[in-house]
Amino acid sequence: MSVEEQVKDIVAKIVHVDKGVITREGTFKDIKADSLDIVQALVAVEDAFDIEIPDEEAQKFQSFGDFISYVEKQVTEKEKA
Amino acid sequence: MSPPLAGKLALVTGGGRGIGKAIALKLASQGADIIVNFFRHRETAEETAKDIEALGVKASVIRANVGNPAKIDEMFDIINRDFGRLDILINNAASGVGRPVMDVTVKAWDWTMDINAKAALLCAQRASKLMEGRGGKIISISSLGSSFVLPTYTVVGVSKAALEALTRYLAIELAPKNICVNTVAASAVETEALKFYIKEQLMPDTRQATPVGRMVIPEDIANVVAFLCSEEASMIRGQTVIVDGGTSIAPFVIPSKEKD
Ligand SMILES: NC(=O)c1ccc[n+]([C@@H]2O[C@H](COP(=O)([O-])OP(=O)(O)OC[C@H]3O[C@@H](n4cnc5c(N)ncnc54)[C@H](OP(=O)(O)O)[C@@H]3O)[C@@H](O)[C@H]2O)c1
Repeated sequence: MSVEEQVKDIVAKIVHVDKGVITREGTFKDIKADSLDIVQALVAVEDAFDIEIPDEEAQKFQSFGDFISYVEKQVTEKEKA
Repeated sequence: MSPPLAGKLALVTGGGRGIGKAIALKLASQGADIIVNFFRHRETAEETAKDIEALGVKASVIRANVGNPAKIDEMFDIINRDFGRLDILINNAASGVGRPVMDVTVKAWDWTMDINAKAALLCAQRASKLMEGRGGKIISISSLGSSFVLPTYTVVGVSKAALEALTRYLAIELAPKNICVNTVAASAVETEALKFYIKEQLMPDTRQATPVGRMVIPEDIANVVAFLCSEEASMIRGQTVIVDGGTSIAPFVIPSKEKD
């Protein structure tokens, strides 16, 4: 499964929404995630890929697209290392 | 004369910012080497480590979500590997979800209790092993919400009550090992967390409202923590020391205004 699909799976499970409603253009606000949902989703993605998403970075995400791209980048960098 | 905590090693959970940072800097100013634990804010924690080093002691930074027992174990494995000892543990990290009692969910309860209460137990268990044969200090940071009802503070208040009760049990069980366990409980302290509460209108803006006429600041908490880490305080065991400028005992006193 691609990184994108895995991230969407994790977010859907934590926020209790259908995976289909999570799009690259969408935001946590669109799927009515509260602040606890968001931090838990970030943590679950970190743990799943063994990466770090500091708050300083997460705050820059404008959409799930930004979030997914960041994870993809981290995963690629990790594989290179 | 060497500073009182020279040669000691202290772990401050959530030591990167806020009250934890003030505690880390205070212990560092007294000569202790500091391990700054952080979770979401790496840059902030690394800056704090630099500030600590500027005081002439060693600083290291360890990322760990203390709400996850496996991560606590990883953190202590690193401390054990790199130092093989610990003298002071400060359970300062805290998180929480502000909700009225009837809106508290299982998820919000578990998240808050795991970080604020369970973590203190697990950190104390691991830390006390590293203090074996040398003694040590374990100080936790609580709030008035453990004993008083603050609006929407529900789960955090409950977690702090657990933390204070845990402090008493730890204090007695660890006394024969010369590990001194206490808690410092604060009223509203000027930090990011408080600004958030006020902005979201979860708390009235009582920023000047202590009988003393000024807010409690992070350094007020750090000073008391440092005292409890000193040998002078070694007969204080299992207590919760309240640092609130008198607020909690004077509900009917009109707070004096800060002088301009
Ligand atoms: N501010 C007040 O008015 C007040 C009053 C009474 C008591 N207190 C208590 O004082 C302590 C510090 O409060 P504060 O106001 O300085 O808090 P804060 O500004 O909200 O900072 C919280 C600290 O805890 C860390 N943290 C949160 N969750 C964590 C986790 N899962 N694992 C590891 N670290 C975690 C944070 O690190 P990252 O940023 O890296 O995630 C940060 O360093 C807390 O125990 C709080 O309950 C505060």
